[in-house]
Amino acid sequence: MNKVQIAIIGAGPAGLSTAIELSNMGYDDIVVFDREDEAGGTPRHCGHLGFGIFEFYRLLSGPDYAKKLTKIAADRNITINLKHTLVDISKDILTFSTTDGLVKYSAKRTVLALGARETPRSARLVSGIRSPNIMTTGALQRFIYLHNTIPFKNPVIVGSEVVSFSALMSSRKAGINIAAIIEEDKELNSFSILKSFSETILQTPVKLGYEISSINGDDKEVKSVTISKDGIDETIECDGVIFSGDFTPESALLQENFKDFNFANNSVFISQAFQTTNKNFFAVGNVLRGALTAFKCFFEGKRLAKFIDDSLKQEKLKPQHVKIEADENIQWYYPSLLDLNYPSKILTNLRVNKKTTGRIIVSVNDIDVYEKQIDAKTYTNIKIPREAYPVSKNDTIKIRLES
Amino acid sequence: MKQIDLNSLFSKKTVDFNDNEVFDIAVIGAGVVGCGIFKEFCENGAKTVLVEKANDILEGASKGNSAILHTGFDAPPNSLELDCIKKGYEEYLKIKKKLDLPFLNTKALVVAWSDEQEEKLEAILNKGLNNGVKELEIISNKELALKEPNLSKNAKAAIVVHGESLIDPWSTPLAYVKLGLQAGGKLAFSHEVKDGHFNGEYWEIKTSQKTIKAKTVINAAGLYGDIVDSIKGSKDFKIIPRKGQFIIFDKTAYNLINSIILPVPTKITKGVVITKTAFGNILVGPTAEDQESRTDSVTKKEMLKTLQDKAYDLLPALKGHNITATFAGLRPASDESHYRVMINDEKNWITVGGIRSTGLTSSLGLAKHVYELNDKKYTKPKKAKEPIEIQNITEFQTRDYETSDYGKIICHCECVTQREIQNALKSEIGAGTVGGLKRRTRVTMGRCQGFNCQASVAQICEESKS
Ligand SMILES: Cc1cc2nc3c(=O)[nH]c(=O)nc-3n(C[C@H](O)[C@H](O)[C@H](O)COP(=O)(O)OP(=O)(O)OC[C@H]3O[C@@H](n4cnc5c(N)ncnc54)[C@H](O)[C@@H]3O)c2cc1C
Ligand SMILES: Cc1cc2nc3c(=O)[nH]c(=O)nc-3n(C[C@H](O)[C@H](O)[C@H](O)COP(=O)(O)OP(=O)(O)OC[C@H]3O[C@@H](n4cnc5c(N)ncnc54)[C@H](O)[C@@H]3O)c2cc1C
Repeated sequence: MNKVQIAIIGAGPAGLSTAIELSNMGYDDIVVFDREDEAGGTPRHCGHLGFGIFEFYRLLSGPDYAKKLTKIAADRNITINLKHTLVDISKDILTFSTTDGLVKYSAKRTVLALGARETPRSARLVSGIRSPNIMTTGALQRFIYLHNTIPFKNPVIVGSEVVSFSALMSSRKAGINIAAIIEEDKELNSFSILKSFSETILQTPVKLGYEISSINGDDKEVKSVTISKDGIDETIECDGVIFSGDFTPESALLQENFKDFNFANNSVFISQAFQTTNKNFFAVGNVLRGALTAFKCFFEGKRLAKFIDDSLKQEKLKPQHVKIEADENIQWYYPSLLDLNYPSKILTNLRVNKKTTGRIIVSVNDIDVYEKQIDAKTYTNIKIPREAYPVSKNDTIKIRLES
Repeated sequence: MKQIDLNSLFSKKTVDFNDNEVFDIAVIGAGVVGCGIFKEFCENGAKTVLVEKANDILEGASKGNSAILHTGFDAPPNSLELDCIKKGYEEYLKIKKKLDLPFLNTKALVVAWSDEQEEKLEAILNKGLNNGVKELEIISNKELALKEPNLSKNAKAAIVVHGESLIDPWSTPLAYVKLGLQAGGKLAFSHEVKDGHFNGEYWEIKTSQKTIKAKTVINAAGLYGDIVDSIKGSKDFKIIPRKGQFIIFDKTAYNLINSIILPVPTKITKGVVITKTAFGNILVGPTAEDQESRTDSVTKKEMLKTLQDKAYDLLPALKGHNITATFAGLRPASDESHYRVMINDEKNWITVGGIRSTGLTSSLGLAKHVYELNDKKYTKPKKAKEPIEIQNITEFQTRDYETSDYGKIICHCECVTQREIQNALKSEIGAGTVGGLKRRTRVTMGRCQGFNCQASVAQICEESKS
């Protein structure tokens, strides 16, 4: 059994920034693990610009950003064990699959920075044929940026989150024509200016309010998609389908190992100190909730370092977790535990499931203690402040949305 | 940028026999049934060729099924199907021991969800006993709750079918083909049988590539069984494909049940099966939808939703677990419910058709039956000493990622290694299609469906082609 003071799983922006900050604080017994053969996480295959402004004050491409983070870690002599896939965490022992056999570690503190993935076609229950050319943006970006190849020439994109336009831009650069962007909602799930940008500058139609009702073709080749609005069908010829966005945490391992799993977030419960219900395990970055930008994950990592430092210095301090629950109208929220040991201005951060004008209401033991008017889109980040209402250890905090 | 089409990254397989070769047997169709028959004839010394229109095995009905090794407790009494299921099960146990194939005896529970269904249990039990399946018992809802604590409390009672088990539906037929090859059999992939002529001595089978000669033809063309059968000059049955749609839940759900949960069959409602799979998932389905098309295996959102709702009803704890895959399989059902197995002695033609919903289990039994029907003697080859190699991709046995020297993990969700993929692409019977590669390794079949690995897989395939 290998021993290490702090194990960080995931060498993306969140994991690396945690490691770097801990190193800045003087910690030197840290190992970062990643299953890929290169460190840097998801930005490695986001070849477009859009990274680094807040962290490094310059606009970088994803791969450059990943390289920069990795270099800082290397300069600090932080060990990064690549091609180490975490396959088990039961009994607090970290088991990795490696080409040298299974390797076990025990760590005083473990940070789970496993990132997120997009929801594929299957989980969306879309009708139609199966084909390798039905994929996610993540898969497409890897073709383009890691392998210099393209799988199709004329696909459609399903979804209109920021990442959908990332798919659009990457495709353009690689010589792929996007036949259309299809969005079920009546509005874009990202800044509305992107619609006119796509349509007028890129000549890519954006079909709002359309559901994709089937993927057509034969013998594994996509020929077209049928989309429908108000019961009227329309067919768009294409040779592939890109399902974009609808990120979900890479949390299967956690679901299997944490007795208390937060199904609403599809992740573990974490406090404002990023601590899970197992006091030696912390979680940070997109594994908490699906996709936010890299810089958010980077700064979360930085903040987490201080909490780890705290918890190592005060071994005796027992967390005082109060659970926060949210109803099904909330897309995700974090923190999902309130640790009474720490003062906090923010109770939780959240997004709503659909465009809503209404109120967010917080209750403690079913008594309403706070409410906030909102006019929010699905991509609006909403902060719920922690106000002066009393909360004690065995209370339940609930958040609901009334429209 | 260069376009790479995953489908075209697999070279067409070539044949290694010459045009003058007259085989004893040509088996048409490399579904699980054809693969089993191929093995049986090869091992008995018949010069056998397996002729398949696709570029791999299992591209027809056999590509998607529930992977249950049935006991035959609910099979039609006194039928060929029942005989073959029982014989097939027995043979599987033997071969599994020899080759160390995966097998998990989960047992099945036929669960009654209403009083009306509960009343039927007795009859089902008796039918099973009459079918010679001895290990059956009825248990109360209390006992059921102990066995399956996560199942909805609405269950009334259940029958335990002790023998029902899970196997790997893909490696198993692959093992049959490998055994056949080892015993001297030949393969002809990408050879679609178009027509044929019997000259009194042997058949000249016209295919999309070359003409293949064989004294006896065994038609195991599954979904195309009736079309291929008309080559012999008479039409004896009609295939009516029956679609079965499935939902697969993520590995996180694997431990929610212990046994295969079967419905009580009723005339009106088609129940849903919930079972673990050999690969560590939970499978829900299949539906049963008759259709004209032999190729249309599209999934339908409404149907998948119905399955999902039904599954949540019966196993509420499934909520919150990710769906990793949805797919549909087509059963080669015919215009009558029984197996369509017949021999035309004048024409040296044997039909093995309409193997609707139990072919995975019965294939080895069917193979023995067909061998006896043929009633010819061949000289048995010497038994090969070398064991054939079957890569384990199930969760019942050690996986490659748990060993060492595998290179790296390519598909993270299913923990598929570089070595597993390379092995699957190698050799005479290596993957010949994208589906074939998935079935041999499970790449891209996990929760991310290729988000992480699809591009790497394409690259490995391309490298191995050149
Ligand atoms: C197409 C696309 C475009 C984007 N564009 C932008 C942009 O322009 N600007 C921006 O700021 N953000 C962008 N983002 C978002 C940004 O990439 C993420 O916010 C950021 O990468 C999240 O960081 P993370 O550390 O939480 O996770 P990740 O970067 O995903 O890192 C997680 C790491 O954990 C590893 N891992 C997971 N499971 C295991 C395991 N079991 N064992 C070992 N290792 C494991 C993974 O290999 C991975 O390296 C984009 C994302 C996508 C998908
Ligand atoms: C939804 C579903 C669930 C099932 N569950 C189970 C289960 O749990 N347990 C069980 O035991 N069974 C199960 N089955 C049944 C089992 O899968 C089938 O009985 C079996 O696959 C039938 O195999 P086959 O070889 O007869 O047909 P196929 O697999 O269709 O094989 C026929 C082959 O012939 C080839 N072919 C066709 N025409 C030509 C031609 N002209 N020239 C050359 N080649 C040709 C095709 O390409 C194909 O490969 C299930 C089936 C389905 C669909």
